[in-house]
Amino acid sequence: MHTLHPRLAILPRTACLILGTILAVRFLAACATVKPQQRAVLADPIMQFEGDPQAAAQMRHAVDNREGSYGGGGVSGGGCGCN
Amino acid sequence: MVGMSLVSAASAARASAQVAVVDTAHTLYHEAPTRTNMTVYTPGVDVAVTPASWLTVRGGYEADVVSGASVGVKAGPAYAAVNPGADVISTASVRDYRHAPRAGVTLRHGDVAYTAQYTYGTENDYKSHSFFVSARTEAYDHNTQLELSYSRNADLVCDRTQAVNDKPPRFRALEDSRGCFGSSDPLRTRHTVSIDALQATWTQAWTPTVATQLAYTAQILDGFQSNPYRSVILAQGLKAQEHSPDHRARHSIAARANVYVRPLKVAVRLAARGYRDTWDLWSATFELEAERYFFEGFRIAARARYYAQTGTSFWSDDYTGGNKPLGPKGQYFTGDRELSPFHSLALGLRMTYTVESANGHLAGLMRSLKIGASAEVVNFSYDEYTLGGIPITNARAYVLGLNASASF
Repeated sequence: MHTLHPRLAILPRTACLILGTILAVRFLAACATVKPQQRAVLADPIMQFEGDPQAAAQMRHAVDNREGSYGGGGVSGGGCGCN
Repeated sequence: MVGMSLVSAASAARASAQVAVVDTAHTLYHEAPTRTNMTVYTPGVDVAVTPASWLTVRGGYEADVVSGASVGVKAGPAYAAVNPGADVISTASVRDYRHAPRAGVTLRHGDVAYTAQYTYGTENDYKSHSFFVSARTEAYDHNTQLELSYSRNADLVCDRTQAVNDKPPRFRALEDSRGCFGSSDPLRTRHTVSIDALQATWTQAWTPTVATQLAYTAQILDGFQSNPYRSVILAQGLKAQEHSPDHRARHSIAARANVYVRPLKVAVRLAARGYRDTWDLWSATFELEAERYFFEGFRIAARARYYAQTGTSFWSDDYTGGNKPLGPKGQYFTGDRELSPFHSLALGLRMTYTVESANGHLAGLMRSLKIGASAEVVNFSYDEYTLGGIPITNARAYVLGLNASASF
């Protein structure tokens, strides 16, 4: 039986998840009705998901190297620094 | 709060005309559990220039200054029991520097922003070329943001050259990083590590005070993923360099919600993440954060984070128990406590002070200045990991952060 290379085996599931997310976004996002003039609180730094990207990335770098898991906070990287 | 919102809105309006932003962040990590210690200082600086509303060019630099003592030879309780009085654990001093210069560009066209970045990482025993691209778009009156990002790492890790006919249970650990790169030392070799990562993020504003974010991340690692310096005792008189599988596929789904509670004037952030990988490691993370302004521009956040993971399928605290040769614990062996089952609880505080210039010139040249400081304590509780049968105690890490951002 033909099997995918281990590097490629993840792709079908990944594609399904991305496609499902896109469909969910299209369906659900249309329900949101926040008008531009109502966005004052949402625009405040206190409501941002990542207000200080560099500081947050450094914190993730420190934590990721002490845990066995990964993800959810961006995929940019560079080097190990994993002592 | 409303005043701050207006200041923020004014700031956002000026952003398109902003010329340059300088960010600097510094993190100090320290832990000293039983018989080991590790201190990592990470300074970083980034400069972003926006000469036109459609273009941002950025460059930066980050480093890791690492010093401490880590476990060099790992043994478990069964081995320690049959070798009473012998100190079966050894530690090795660690001193290393990672330098990581980076450069990137963001192009904007309508509601879409495209970003590309390259980072070069170099340390005594590791070289990395990292390429990152992302596309971000907004829809439905800017209430919906979608981002797709991808990174590709082409890395090299140093290792000790092993005897031609030896198999992993006979491999010897790397003694130190001398001669790893830039020399023809026959006792040094390099392994490739390729890392592909993909993330899809959906950020949604639902009401004037509620926003959520959903992120799916996948990562595929191919290549040498063990710690080349660490050995594991496999049997009486037999120690071998730890040996992890070369392939690892990782998935995680993270959900976050930001809710502004008007009566309390507090922003509450909730986050949860589930993770699993092909090494059969599962984890769950829960975060709770509350932040509020105390006076104009000054805010404090309190944060708690709980994390729990299982061990990998090949994790064992002691490999001397006659594991099946073709089973996961017979083929692979590790002394890495990050691959063992554990849970941790982190508690922290963060302060941020932002000052905006009313007339566009602060101290004669800045438009705005933001200063932040954070402190966090992380307490690790290891379910199985021991050093020669002795559970590690005081597994507590302290993380301090300082950051500043100025726009000109």
